[in-house]
Amino acid sequence: MKTDRPTSNSKARLLPIIQDQNFAAGLLLVAIAISAYALTRDLARPSNGVGPATLPEWLSLALGVSGAALLTAAIYKPGVRFERAMLRGPALIILAVLMFASTIRGVSFAGVSIPGLGLLFAGPVAIMISGYASPDVRFDQLLGLALGLTAFCMLLFGDLLNLPIPILPQPLVDLLPASWSAKADLRLSAAALGAAAVLILVAWPNSTRRSST
Amino acid sequence: MTDFLANLSLGFSVAFVPTNLVLAFLGCLVGTLVGVLPGVGPLATIAMLLPITFGVDPVGALIMLAGIYYGAQYGGSTTAILVNMPGEASSVVTALDGHQMAKQGRAGVALAIAAIGSFFAGTVATLLIALLAAPLTRVALVFGPTEYFSLMVVGLVFAVVLASGSVLKAIAMILLGVLLSLVGTDLETGEERMTFGLSMLSDGIDFTILAMGIFGIAEIMRNLTQTDNRDVIRQHIGRLLPDKEDFRSSCRPVLRGTALGAILGILPGSGAVLAPFASYALEKKLAEQPGRFGRGAIEGVAGPESANNAAAQTSFIPLLTLGIPPNAVMALMIGAMTIHGIVPGPQVMTKNPAMFWGMIASMWVGNLMLLVINLPLVGIWVRLLKVPYRLMFPAILMFCCIGIYSINSLPTDVMLIALFGFVGFALIRMGFEPAPMLLGFVLGRLLEENLRRALSISRGSPATFLEHPISASLLMVAAVLIVLAMLPSIRRGRDTAFTE
Repeated sequence: MKTDRPTSNSKARLLPIIQDQNFAAGLLLVAIAISAYALTRDLARPSNGVGPATLPEWLSLALGVSGAALLTAAIYKPGVRFERAMLRGPALIILAVLMFASTIRGVSFAGVSIPGLGLLFAGPVAIMISGYASPDVRFDQLLGLALGLTAFCMLLFGDLLNLPIPILPQPLVDLLPASWSAKADLRLSAAALGAAAVLILVAWPNSTRRSST
Repeated sequence: MTDFLANLSLGFSVAFVPTNLVLAFLGCLVGTLVGVLPGVGPLATIAMLLPITFGVDPVGALIMLAGIYYGAQYGGSTTAILVNMPGEASSVVTALDGHQMAKQGRAGVALAIAAIGSFFAGTVATLLIALLAAPLTRVALVFGPTEYFSLMVVGLVFAVVLASGSVLKAIAMILLGVLLSLVGTDLETGEERMTFGLSMLSDGIDFTILAMGIFGIAEIMRNLTQTDNRDVIRQHIGRLLPDKEDFRSSCRPVLRGTALGAILGILPGSGAVLAPFASYALEKKLAEQPGRFGRGAIEGVAGPESANNAAAQTSFIPLLTLGIPPNAVMALMIGAMTIHGIVPGPQVMTKNPAMFWGMIASMWVGNLMLLVINLPLVGIWVRLLKVPYRLMFPAILMFCCIGIYSINSLPTDVMLIALFGFVGFALIRMGFEPAPMLLGFVLGRLLEENLRRALSISRGSPATFLEHPISASLLMVAAVLIVLAMLPSIRRGRDTAFTE
């Protein structure tokens, strides 16, 4: 992985300024300043001059000045150059969080509806996706973690702490005997997940050999 | 003096009620755990546990929540030292030298000195509160909106001075943080500000979401793209007990940190966040070789750790007397008090003396418990940290998702942490440090409220901030600090230019 470093003077002059970290930072600040200023234009301005727009206006002015200073600095003095970041990691992290958000309770968006799958599925899905953000991912360990940690979270947050978080998908609840309490359903499925996790970590082919090397 | 003793004995009689002892212990244990586990802060934990405390009486509930708060301070220092991931804003400074010590194989000493310093500071602060609470309430009441505003400006400037990297960028981050805190309905006029017409934003940006996005998710992204920089220590913890030399070099910082923290904690609006920064700056200033700081100087751990604990304790004074939260956790405490039917303000001390003094006494008890929880059990906390990062971050991510979801049961909240996570990551890539932004965000609303009140009193004339002597001197301090912060950065900039 490459890291940001100051570029030598001669080289920096030739670089497009767009790659300068300070230039991008300055542009961002100026953009924020302008939009904040624009967004507070239509707020009430009481006669004594102190109103809801006062502080936002001061702030956007100050942000604009800071941004301009960074831009100037970038033009006159070469700064740290952006290197292209590896975007796979961040993208997978975002995808994992979004998947968790959309499967935990179910959402319908733009005609597409995702059923609520509860922590039982949302948890492992989020962990499996996010795990691939790391370059040295190992499928067996990750799967074990996904199942085991989900079981743990179900017991801790759902059973012990009673947090209002959906645990099981409704179809599964319907499958289980109606006489069982919600807690019994939860514990049973957590136990099943936990057992699966242990099985995977112990019995996965090569897992012990590989982890010892 | 009789008052002092009577108050303390009342406090301890409340704190030693068995249920309260158990609740204090639970709070400390949970606090340490969430402080150690990165990505789950005391804020989310207190928010999650708030509904559970409804069944307990208010004193017990507040004792437990307070335990989580200062337990997390301890736990936060542990992660700051061992993983370079400050669990709390107040242990950001500890990470600077504490983690360097850990890299040099002196993690045990750093942890021990942090715990001992914190315990000492906690004891002193408890006594100090008992001794000074009543007279200090009157002093704090002298502060008008003008002084409050200037005080908060000084607090924010401290954050700029101590942020790593460019001063200009740190200032910009503070400004941005304050700006973000203003999003939402204006409390005075009811107008919506900068909400883009989205009803989701009319209550403002949720602090927990912002904090989790930027310190939970963005941090994961940062760690993933800089594999060489992620820092679970591989060295041994080393011996736990500091030797004579360690004690000698850290005893003065502990004393100074305690004094500084106790004073800064009492001043409303700054609290435990500011104290360790100030202490670090002071120690660096007083050190014979300031160059050692940032490279594993024990003074850089001892001072700030004592300071944050002293301040964490004395910051309950503005909370209990004025109802002003010095930080987001305290804001939640206010919520908890209100839920339990206690109106925060000067009347708490007179109307609920058992609660007030019981809470203060329980802090000392809790500090003692923390010493026991932390030092002998540090092995367990370390084992938690030795899990490889590729298995850690999916777990952090999961905890963040569950924590955020359980606060409001809203999937959109979960999506927002992904958004803020990406924003935070982008800011980091552009060389901005997100920590000052968060401080600006916490203080933003209060800052504006006082600004507007001060300006309304002065009929819109900003000169009021210079006409009030206390406010003027505070702003002077802020100005001097900014200038001082700019100077060495210019020098450093020149140095790097010369070496290149």
